[in-house]
Amino acid sequence: MNEEYDAIVLGTGLKECILSGMLSVSGKRVLHIDRNKYYGGESASITPLEDLFGKFKAPSPDESYGRGRDWNVDLIPKFLMANGLLVKLLIHTGVTRYLEFKSVEGSYVYKSGKISKVPIDQQEALSSDLMGLFEKRRFRSFLMWVQNMQEDDPKTWDGFDPFNNNMSALYNKFSLDKNTQDFTGHALALYRDDDYISQIAILTIRRIKLYSDSLARYGKSPYLYPMYGLGELPQGFARLSAIYGGTYMLDKPIDEIVIKDGKVVGVRSGDETAQCKQVFCDPTYVPDRVKKVGQVIRCICLMDHPIPSTSDALSTQIIIPQKQVGRNSDIYVSLVSHTHQVAAKGWFIAMVSTTVETKNPEVEIKPGLDLLGPIKQKFISISDYMVPVDDGLNSQIFISTSYDATTHFETTCLDVLDIFKRATGEEFDFNKVKHELGDEDQ
Amino acid sequence: MATVKVTEQKVILCGEYGVGKTSIFRRFANNTFVASSDRKSTLGLDNIDKEYVVEDRRIRLQLWDTGGMERVASVTSSYYKFAEAAILVFALDNSTSFHLLSQHLLDIVTYAENAKIFLCGNKSDLESVAPQVTDVEMEQFCEQCHNLISGIYKTSCKTGEGINEMFEDIAQHLVEANRSRMELHEMDKDRFKISYIDEAADPSCLC
Repeated sequence: MNEEYDAIVLGTGLKECILSGMLSVSGKRVLHIDRNKYYGGESASITPLEDLFGKFKAPSPDESYGRGRDWNVDLIPKFLMANGLLVKLLIHTGVTRYLEFKSVEGSYVYKSGKISKVPIDQQEALSSDLMGLFEKRRFRSFLMWVQNMQEDDPKTWDGFDPFNNNMSALYNKFSLDKNTQDFTGHALALYRDDDYISQIAILTIRRIKLYSDSLARYGKSPYLYPMYGLGELPQGFARLSAIYGGTYMLDKPIDEIVIKDGKVVGVRSGDETAQCKQVFCDPTYVPDRVKKVGQVIRCICLMDHPIPSTSDALSTQIIIPQKQVGRNSDIYVSLVSHTHQVAAKGWFIAMVSTTVETKNPEVEIKPGLDLLGPIKQKFISISDYMVPVDDGLNSQIFISTSYDATTHFETTCLDVLDIFKRATGEEFDFNKVKHELGDEDQ
Repeated sequence: MATVKVTEQKVILCGEYGVGKTSIFRRFANNTFVASSDRKSTLGLDNIDKEYVVEDRRIRLQLWDTGGMERVASVTSSYYKFAEAAILVFALDNSTSFHLLSQHLLDIVTYAENAKIFLCGNKSDLESVAPQVTDVEMEQFCEQCHNLISGIYKTSCKTGEGINEMFEDIAQHLVEANRSRMELHEMDKDRFKISYIDEAADPSCLC
């Protein structure tokens, strides 16, 4: 370990592994360390099932759960948007060759105690039970307008300037009622709160387009989920880093981040010190350089049946918009199952998560739990949401934020790209990697 | 895309650092050998396809190398996923690399349950100079593994001896195994790899 590196990455969570891969690919000498014995940190999928029960101090699972090692349970539930940033990163870095995916079968939204399929095209808009007859037509015109509008061609804007008007004005243009605004903003544009309504409309339009473009890719829903669980993602990027020369060390405690004149110069473990110019890490490695800005509650539910009223879907996402249950942030429900090799045959893993708003978070997720039907085993975790107080420009320590409550990876990737830009002074060049990989295939 | 798609069979190399996994990979890829003194790692390349014909049936072996992750840390569990075959590699002149195989075997049966497993003693060119592992020991190992091992080979990456024979034999085993497993594969065809649709016309793949 007593060597010199361009960058030392601490923690093998998804963000750190993507960064490690990107840095190695850009020709940097990278040392990547994790204090745990396994890859993935918080983004790992826990296996076997006995380890999950042990982690939450529950008595061992009985034989009804099948073989323990048929389970790979995520701690943080998320799906990939089929046309989103993470998929772009996977394709451009070639990490996609390590993974296989399945489409998530259903995307639902909660309204007045019931769940309905999220209407995504004109036909579904007309048959949806979310809206009345006249509202359906208005929503259909809205969808058509969004699909047809091109950012660089004002002729397609139909007299509405999306760069100088806010979303509220666009809703008014189509006379959409509050309910329709609710599922448009939360289930299609995937906003966590209602702040977007007063922001310029183009931001929301882009997100609705991302949703429908994602949907167009593989059908059924805009979401993808990897076989064997989300823990495969950090491993894929770690592998990328390794084959580009990155060195990996697991089970290595970090005792000190060595600073000289306010700038990082190395990392010490026991009496070994590795020298470096930059450090990249998750908040747990630098408690004195991050602050807590909130909490996220996540509840893992093991069940032997699919979620009621979802046509027995083997994978689902349900969004409960904040207003429907009198909250300030949405509640997310996701379901994956044995079909993804994450649970034993006949088993399902549901996750209910949200941003904590009260002193009693377990009560907050009740509307989500109530949708699930009987639950065999429940594990609740409440984790602090940490953000860096140091942007790294002076110290050269670049810290990722904790994983938020959203059920997709868009914010995760934005954080990674932002860190990369801060550290290297340039945007990540997607094309560079792709071409290099292409050359070597010859 | 008029060509008939032959599904790839993932074959992984397992074993201690320095037993010659990457050398086997290189022999498989372009039939070359690089002496350890002037070895540069092939950055960015960790798997390669090659087609074999066994009794008029085409089969594509896709050989995977560890990427050197086992040097200090462990190989990620995802390395093993979807593997149809695993080659346990040790060096015939290094008994430690042989005795540590049981750990690698355990990883294979844990993470790649359905993989057929093969045993490969590499560096056979050094066997007469500094033999450390005997045929009897290799056979005993297979017996102890309750016949989990489908084939035993001796290879030399330096001379190229035994390499082709090994992969041809593995291809044969996989064709036979596939014949009886065809129906199982049918069951799960809704999973896929993601790729760029827009660039389907890109003639970058000449393999």
